[in-house]
Amino acid sequence: MTQRNDHRNDHLLNRRAALAGLAGLGATLALPSRAQSGSVVIYTSNNQQAFEAVVETAAKRLPGVKFSAITGGSGQLLRRLEAEAAKPQGDVFWSTSANTLGAFKHLLEPYRSPELAAIPAALQQPQNLWSAANLHVAVAMVNTKQLGGGAAPKTWADLLDPRFKGKILIADPANSSTALTILWGVDKMLGAEGLKRLAANVKVTSAAATVLRSVGQGEFAVGLTFESNAYAYVAGGQKEISLVYPADGTFTTPEFFALIKGAPAGELAKKACDHLLSKEAQTELLLAAYRRPARSDIDVSKLVQLPPLAGIKVFPIDEDEAAAKRADFLKRWQTLAVA
Amino acid sequence: MNDAGAAAPAPARSGVPGPALRRASLLRSLRTPWPWLTLAVLALLVVFLLLPLVQVLVGSFGSGGRSGWAIVAAEPRYLQAVLNTVMLGAVVTLLALVIGVPLAWFTARFDFPGKGLIAVLPLVTLVVPEVIAAQTWLMMVGNNGLLTRALAERGIELPSFYGWTGLVTVMTFTYYTYVYIGTLAAIRGFDVQLEEAAQSLGTSPAVSRWKVMLPVVLPAVLASALLVFTLAVGNFAVAMVLSNKVPLLSVLTYQATVSEVGSDPTLQSTLATISVAIVMLALFAQRRVVARGRREVVQGRGAVPARLAGWRGAALGAAAALVVAVSLLPVASIAVGAFTQARGPVMRWGQWTTAHLERVFTRAIDPLLNTLTYAAIATAIGITLAVIVSYLVVKKRNALTPALDYLTALPLALSGTVIGIGLLMTFNTGWLSLTGTGSIIVLAYVVRRLPFGTRNASSTLFNIPDSIEEASISLGVPPGRSFVRVVLPLMAPAIVAAAVLTWTTTVAELSASIIVYSGGRETMPIQIFRLIDSGLMAQASAYGLLLVAVIVLPIVLATRLTRIDLFASRA
Repeated sequence: MTQRNDHRNDHLLNRRAALAGLAGLGATLALPSRAQSGSVVIYTSNNQQAFEAVVETAAKRLPGVKFSAITGGSGQLLRRLEAEAAKPQGDVFWSTSANTLGAFKHLLEPYRSPELAAIPAALQQPQNLWSAANLHVAVAMVNTKQLGGGAAPKTWADLLDPRFKGKILIADPANSSTALTILWGVDKMLGAEGLKRLAANVKVTSAAATVLRSVGQGEFAVGLTFESNAYAYVAGGQKEISLVYPADGTFTTPEFFALIKGAPAGELAKKACDHLLSKEAQTELLLAAYRRPARSDIDVSKLVQLPPLAGIKVFPIDEDEAAAKRADFLKRWQTLAVA
Repeated sequence: MNDAGAAAPAPARSGVPGPALRRASLLRSLRTPWPWLTLAVLALLVVFLLLPLVQVLVGSFGSGGRSGWAIVAAEPRYLQAVLNTVMLGAVVTLLALVIGVPLAWFTARFDFPGKGLIAVLPLVTLVVPEVIAAQTWLMMVGNNGLLTRALAERGIELPSFYGWTGLVTVMTFTYYTYVYIGTLAAIRGFDVQLEEAAQSLGTSPAVSRWKVMLPVVLPAVLASALLVFTLAVGNFAVAMVLSNKVPLLSVLTYQATVSEVGSDPTLQSTLATISVAIVMLALFAQRRVVARGRREVVQGRGAVPARLAGWRGAALGAAAALVVAVSLLPVASIAVGAFTQARGPVMRWGQWTTAHLERVFTRAIDPLLNTLTYAAIATAIGITLAVIVSYLVVKKRNALTPALDYLTALPLALSGTVIGIGLLMTFNTGWLSLTGTGSIIVLAYVVRRLPFGTRNASSTLFNIPDSIEEASISLGVPPGRSFVRVVLPLMAPAIVAAAVLTWTTTVAELSASIIVYSGGRETMPIQIFRLIDSGLMAQASAYGLLLVAVIVLPIVLATRLTRIDLFASRA
């Protein structure tokens, strides 16, 4: 027994020595090790494919520069920017929704990239605080195997039909700007009664990515989402998935980039913005991540099987109004969604 | 007879000391290292835990406008969410106990074919990202699940998995492991002589086992039950996928905190306060029960596992294997997914490739290295702290002990998100600026997982009698060395159990580290979360598989090197 204990004790002492070594290692980690030059940090709500498209095309234009991403929802990332304002950690912000950006102007640095020449003026912010990099279009992602033999919906109005009850999935608009854009648009287009009937048909998920996965997996027949992420399932060869651009007009929303004030990468951060907007990066973004470019000099339909923007009927929505009335709208949606 | 043999209540001090005597004993105790150590650890906790928490609360109350309490009181869905959350926590905890305790008892006391595997495998379930777990269950029993379709063809309609059914099922089969591990350590440390003594006094085996073993094992069982309750209350990953229209506190808090379209700090802090209160109440209840039944047990001879043979052994083994197998379904889905070809989000089932794993090692090795470094440092620091804290709390009580006790339990009541935001706000600039370094990730790990180590280390300390250490001190060995020489070796099995749990949960930690990490410092769970969010299940599975290896290999290695067999008793 005694011998056994001594034996065990030796091992414990060895482990204590190991712990001391690890503690020393910890001390060295405290030193800021991110080099001030040669690395760019992008804050983005975009997916991995989109981020990689930007990184892979950067090798030629910005050789040796190490790109890394901080990912999350736009609101979450902006909150993080705010927390870090005294000592910024990020260089470029690239995410959806101008509505949320408006409240965070003090965290952004005006920058007029030469690449903006190729982007329509309507998609730029007057003080050059941010600009659209690409465009999102709302679609119905349909899994034809789960329609139970019925016809696929063609319009937003079709989705109000009771035959779709429990078969449509949408993210929670309190949590997802995609869902907010779509529901706000439906309310404007089909009125309060239309929204109420849609609410009766949908199931709601708190995680936006679940919409795509669930329709892909056949859990639901229809998912309301943006074309870029849904098209990945078509491009991936899943035959029962198709994208419906509602014939009564769909909703678009730009995705913005901005230079972060006090960006640690300095001039390199501006070069990274230029690269993000460049024809090369935007083309790769379209090919690899199906992001529709804001630039007017890329022919979308020639490169991927997405319809040209000119061929899509767009129902215009006022983003400023949507931002201003967001809280009231969400409250109304909440009463509809539980009913 | 209740306290047969060695299971006696803590030795009573002689009489009530007079004031002079009390002052003398206070002075004497100040000459030992313990009160100073208590003070030092307390100071650490105040700076790295309490300060960040206060920052969050103060920061969110400063925003003005409508009070969060008014919003919560006005909308019935918040009250409903509170009730649902408590209900979910209670049901999941109960079911986890029903599965975990018998499995632990069975594994500790019996030998059966395949025991080695069945004993270790449940650990693996701890590391499977919860989103993957939920998704795998949907593949089986969702609207379009394999089992759902197979049964539908035979005319059997399964209830919808969305809502209560799914929430309870997925969480139970994920969290029972915590009960299993905690209980296993305690049963192993239980002296079989007690049971035999009770039996020789004429009690039937079942009754004696119940009467003697229960008080000894109960603290560990309750500690892990509390852990499960906390995890179920705080869980949002499973809840977000499956809750559908069942409002839950965790999901509402998450939405108020990290909503894609702007956050609501006041509401967030109100909801966080409610969940802190719920967990604190549970903690308080657990303390009451443990304090009432406190026992010291001399470490003696553990039970020799009985050999199970024949149909009874086969049946029990099969039952245990079934439970473990069901809980391992998500792991299987990772293993298959990691080697399945994929084009974007579309999996080509049946077509195999090693490209995803090759990619991890050739192009994206950083998350693996980051995880190993940060988690190793955090586990080392965390376990050292856990051992010191649990020793101080259980064995060296003084006026500061209750504060220490509750502070170390506090992270249980905080969501990882709140811990992350607090650390970010506190250590961004100023006297200790950690933002953008690896140390803030290590800090987040240590703070978040401290209760795991402490609970486990302390539950066995109750069973080490003071008299052994006192004997060593009275023989002239200084208190510090007595601790290292006498108490530490006795604690070893509990320390290993605590280390295993800390390492496992640290490597898999996501919700605090995803708030504090900086560019180039992503860990594997962060990368997996990102890939799942991008629909790249195959690549996420490759990292998932690696995560399982990273967790299991060191555990196997450590138990081999220290020769402390986690799953055998010391005969």
